Amino acid sequence: MSPLTTTVHNTGTGPLLRIAGELDYSTAPELRELVTGLPLEPGQRLVLDLAHLGFCDSSGITAFIVARNHALAHDADITLLAAPGPVLRVLRVTGLDQVFSLAPGQDARTERAADG
Amino acid sequence: MTCRTGPGPDLPEGRRTAHTDAAFTALLEDSAEELYESAPCGYLSTLMDGTVAKINTTLLNWLGLTRDDVVGRLRFTDLLTVGGRIYHDTHFAPLLRMQGGVNGIALDIRQADGGRLPVLISSVTKTDHDGRPLLIRTTVFDASDRRAYEQELLRERQVAEEARRRAEEDRQRLQEALAVLQSSLLPAQLPQVPGMEAASHYHTASPDRLGGDFYDLFPLDDRRWAFFLGDVCGKGPQAAAVTSLTRYTLRAAALHNPDPVAALTTLNTVLHERYATGDPRYCTAVFGVLEPEGDTVTVELASGGHPPALVLRQDGPTEYLPTPGGLLVGIMPSAPFTSARTVLGAGDTLLLYTDGLTEARTGEKRELFGDEALLDFATTLTDTAPRQVVTAMTGLLNSFGDGLDDDTALLALGVPMTDPTPASDT
Repeated sequence: MSPLTTTVHNTGTGPLLRIAGELDYSTAPELRELVTGLPLEPGQRLVLDLAHLGFCDSSGITAFIVARNHALAHDADITLLAAPGPVLRVLRVTGLDQVFSLAPGQDARTERAADG
Repeated sequence: MTCRTGPGPDLPEGRRTAHTDAAFTALLEDSAEELYESAPCGYLSTLMDGTVAKINTTLLNWLGLTRDDVVGRLRFTDLLTVGGRIYHDTHFAPLLRMQGGVNGIALDIRQADGGRLPVLISSVTKTDHDGRPLLIRTTVFDASDRRAYEQELLRERQVAEEARRRAEEDRQRLQEALAVLQSSLLPAQLPQVPGMEAASHYHTASPDRLGGDFYDLFPLDDRRWAFFLGDVCGKGPQAAAVTSLTRYTLRAAALHNPDPVAALTTLNTVLHERYATGDPRYCTAVFGVLEPEGDTVTVELASGGHPPALVLRQDGPTEYLPTPGGLLVGIMPSAPFTSARTVLGAGDTLLLYTDGLTEARTGEKRELFGDEALLDFATTLTDTAPRQVVTAMTGLLNSFGDGLDDDTALLALGVPMTDPTPASDT
C-alpha cells in the first residue's frame, strides 16, 4: 500500500497542501497534525490538493473537517482541489460537498507543469 | 621490609623463586590437623550406623556444641532438622549406599540455640581393600547466603507472578466493562414488531476497540415504530461516548417529535453543542418511522450524511432509496437533512447498513467494494426476507476477510410474505 505523502507549497493566497497516497485510520492522524500546524492569516485560503489521493475513508473525511475548523478558527477559507471520483462520492454522501468549497482540478496542462 | 608490587628488575630468576617459596612456607606452616579443624567447611566422619566418630571445630561452632556432646553420642541424623532427617533416610542414605557417594544435597542442620542453618552436604563411603564400607566422610558447606539468594529469587518470582495475575485480572475486568458498554450501545435483541420482521447483524472489527456503529428499533405508540442506524466517526471510548449520547438523544427526540428530520435536527444540536470545540465528533445516521397500513408498511426516513438505504422488492427491482444532501450530524450549528418515503409490500425489505460494507477493500488492487457492487449483489438475492438478506450480507462481509477493517452494522426491516402476525416471526 502506498503511504501518505504530503508537501506544502506557499502561494500568495495561502498554503497549498498536496496530499498523495492513502488516507485512512492509520495515516489520517499524520495529516491532522500537519494541517493544524499550518500558519494561516485572516482572509487566506488553505487549499488541499487531492488529485493524487488514492484512497480516503471516514478517518480522512474527519481530517478534512479538522482542516476546515483550523481554517475557520483563523478567519481563513478552505478549498478541496481536484477531489478524485471516489472521494467526491463520499463528500456527496456525507453532504460535505455543501460545506467545503470544491474546485475541479486545474486543466491537465497546468497540472503536469506543476508536477514538473 | 621492602614493599614490592612485583619482582624487582635487579633480582635474578633463581633468587626470586627461592624468595617466593620462603614466603609460602611461612604462610603454610599450619599442619593438616589445623586445616581440618578450622577449614571454611564442616568435616564429619561417621560409622556405618551413623554414629559420629570425628567432627571438626568449624562444624561444632556452627552447631553450637562441644566435641564431647557429639562424638560417640550423636548420630549424623541427630544433627538435622526433622524434615532433613526424613529426607536423609528416604533419599540421602539409600543413594549413598548405592553409589558410595552423594554430592551437594541441600539440608538444614539444627543449632543448639534453636536456629537452623541451611547447608550443602556431600558424603563419600570409605571402604577397605575388599570394598567393604568402613565409614562415611562428610563435608558440610554453609549455604545460608546461597539459600537467601534462592529465596530472594523465589520471592521475586512470586511478586512477578502476582503482578502477572493482577494484570490478567485487570484485563479481564476491562474486557467485561467494554462488553457491557458495547452492549449498551445496541439493543440486546430486536423487539417483535407486529406485521413485520426485523433482523440485524453487528460485525466487530476489533474486540479491543469499542465500535462506533449503532442501531435501534423501538415503539413510538401502539401503532408506529421508530428505527435508526448510524456510524460515529472514530473508534474507542471517545467514539463510544458519542454513540451512547446519540442513541439516547435519538430515542428521547423520537418520543418528543417522531418526524425524522426533527429527530436528526435535535441530535445535530446536541452533538454540535457538546463537541463544538476540540476533536470533531460527529456521526452519520438514518432515522425512520414505520407505520403499518393494511398489508403494507409505510416508511418515512431521513438521512444525515449516511449512505442510502437499499430496498429489496419481492417482485420488483432492487434499488437505493436516495437521500442526497443530508449532512453529517454534529459538524455544523444547523444542518440540512433529507427525507424520503417508501412503502413496503409483502416480501419487501428495507436494508440499512454502515459504510464498513461499502468501504471494504476487495481484490488484488484493494479497491473499495462500493455501492454499485452492493446493489449488484443485492439484486442477485432471490429471498428478500429480512433474515435471509442479513444472512446473505453477513456472508458477504465474511468473504471480505481482512479487507474489512471497520465495524459494520446491518438492520433489515421487512413485511413477511405470508401470515403477517407476530407468531410467524420465528
